[in-house]
Amino acid sequence: MSEKAVLVIGGGIAGIQASLDLANRGIKVYLVEKTPSIGGRMAQLDKTFPTMDCSICILAPKMIECARHPNIELLTYSEVVDVHGSVGDFTVKVLKRPRYVDEEKCTGCGLCTEKCPKKVPNEFDMGLGMRKAIYIPFPQAVPRVSIIDEENCLYFQKGICRVCEKFCPAGAIDFEQKPQELELKVGAIVVATGLTQVKPTMVPEYGYGRYKNVVTSLELERLVCASGPTRGKLLRPSDNAAPKSVGFIQCVGSRGLKEGGYPYCSSVCCMYATKEAVIIKEHDPETEVYIFYIDLRAFGKGFQEFVNRAKSMWGVHYIRAMPSDVREDPDTKDLIVRYEDLETKEIREIRLGMVVLCSALTPSPENRKLAEILGVEVDEYGFFKSPDPLCLPVDTTKPGIFMCGYCQGPKDIPESVAQASGAAARAAEVLVREVAR
Amino acid sequence: MKLALYLGCTIQTEQYAYELSVRETFPRLGVELVDLKEAGCCGFPSFRNTNPLAWVYLSARNLALAEGMNLDILALCNGCHVSLSEVKHILDEDDSLKSYINSFLNKEGLKYNGKVKVFHTLQVLHDLVGVDRIKEAVETPLSGLKLAAHYGCHIIRPSKIPRPDDPENPRKLERLIEALGAEAAEYPERLDCCGSGLASVRGKPVLSIAGEKLKSLKVHGFDGMVDVCPFCHKIYDGRQRAISLALGEDFGIPVMYYTQLLGLAMGIEPNRLGLNLNLSPVDAIIRRVRGGVG
Repeated sequence: MSEKAVLVIGGGIAGIQASLDLANRGIKVYLVEKTPSIGGRMAQLDKTFPTMDCSICILAPKMIECARHPNIELLTYSEVVDVHGSVGDFTVKVLKRPRYVDEEKCTGCGLCTEKCPKKVPNEFDMGLGMRKAIYIPFPQAVPRVSIIDEENCLYFQKGICRVCEKFCPAGAIDFEQKPQELELKVGAIVVATGLTQVKPTMVPEYGYGRYKNVVTSLELERLVCASGPTRGKLLRPSDNAAPKSVGFIQCVGSRGLKEGGYPYCSSVCCMYATKEAVIIKEHDPETEVYIFYIDLRAFGKGFQEFVNRAKSMWGVHYIRAMPSDVREDPDTKDLIVRYEDLETKEIREIRLGMVVLCSALTPSPENRKLAEILGVEVDEYGFFKSPDPLCLPVDTTKPGIFMCGYCQGPKDIPESVAQASGAAARAAEVLVREVAR
Repeated sequence: MKLALYLGCTIQTEQYAYELSVRETFPRLGVELVDLKEAGCCGFPSFRNTNPLAWVYLSARNLALAEGMNLDILALCNGCHVSLSEVKHILDEDDSLKSYINSFLNKEGLKYNGKVKVFHTLQVLHDLVGVDRIKEAVETPLSGLKLAAHYGCHIIRPSKIPRPDDPENPRKLERLIEALGAEAAEYPERLDCCGSGLASVRGKPVLSIAGEKLKSLKVHGFDGMVDVCPFCHKIYDGRQRAISLALGEDFGIPVMYYTQLLGLAMGIEPNRLGLNLNLSPVDAIIRRVRGGVG
């Protein structure tokens, strides 16, 4: 007799969708997320292409549905540390790390954050803004419960402070919390560990890390987002002034054969660069926006029309060129981009206020470790492998373990959602089969 | 520390100031220099492109000479340094080529085994002597001077073989300049080529390529430029007047070898550093460093 439950690893849009589909069928779901909140990358995005919907507005209701669903048990700030057994009968060990805040008691009022004296860079804002040592990751976080960051908390580091404890009206602070190991019995597992954006230091000629006004596209996403560090005003890091011009460079570290790079296409950059360009124009139509591309991959439904609109309605400049380098004017901190315009075959230079690098997207670097725990295979880049990519695209190399979203291969949000439903259906199939026996 | 000094062609035929200033400064920093006697051309760039085997032989011969003296080699010129390093890299990976080259070296009783390390001025000062020791040696700090570092291409490229500094963001020359108390400021054209590679085929573009950098230094208010390569120096210092004439703009940028600047800060008399041989207006810097004395 096997358990009628599924483990979903990863609480981004793919994991959320897979969990909801399974739960709505009456299947018990354990949703394990390693960060303090579900939401994943989609929660960080300002808008989505090609419809320009507000990203969090679409995602938040699904996140809340997950939290409230009687069949879903959320295990945030937790990690899968051990998996045993086979299809229909897996025993999973989950390490639930201490938040030092009682999830049952915390009301999410935020008073602790207000009173906490310690400021640290906010990872949700890609390090561009600051958060406190006790914090709620972002306004729409689920669960909306504070967490103490042990590495930066004055009490944990120096044995002083405990201000949050004094002020918490719910008495939820618990410095004595210990890591907990949970044992779960599940019939199937869905992996949805998502993506990460490479820091584009493998292309040093673009100056990322050296020039303040060279940022990655995910950093820009936070800079234009209303919940971001600048409250949605596009201000460049060097002087907090609105840039008069912004350039996007495509395929940074991807589609390249250079050492340290990734040969595959990240699949979403042409479209999100178009989206971010339009967002910049929506903020201030006077800002000139340039997109330097090798070839424009607008292959999905409504994508080409979106690019056409960006050109004709918004006047975004698309330049077919792979810039050779980016330099900084030491006085103004403006950036000078050098490129060969492939339409005119001319070497040109353009002065820009900001440069955005659309650097390679990769599967989570922790996939290799997770693959070992699960007993499945990953490819050379860390994407989970399928035994038959044509007919079993969401199956991993181990029966009963399925996958969806970016951890399977480069893809956008709608594709991730569709695949999540597919993986959920495959997982449900296992449980139904087991019950029928 | 003892090194075999390899001068190469350009320094011995026209860039005497580099040699003079190295011979003045290095021994005072504990680097003993022994002349690499009977040394020949490194073979770069003429032979490298037309007869690669002859190039490998020429560089290998110089390495073998140093090996015979049981000393590591110091090349002052960026071109010589890349040539010796690249040939060493090739021979150390290819045993059959090594024995073939050795069959020629054998006629002079020489042998290349690959034991010699190849150093450049920049490495000796930054990596072996060290910034701290240089700071200690400074008698007159160069405070108030805003100087532009110019590395020259071959000291950082090609990145596939070991080079003295990072090809995209080298910092050693800046650190060395700062050790003397001067400011080594950023400028966008910092890593631009001097253009001298083109000099033998087309003269005009060299002047405009080099001119771009000088223009930028003027715009950004630099007091001078500091280099470590005789080819680059020849262009920015020796040809600065020609660049000014070609572009119709007077630059007046003092250009010095790092070792000349180092010597000035150490209180060495300017003529002993060959500063009387510089063609760019270095007097402005000398006066600022030495006050009325220079």
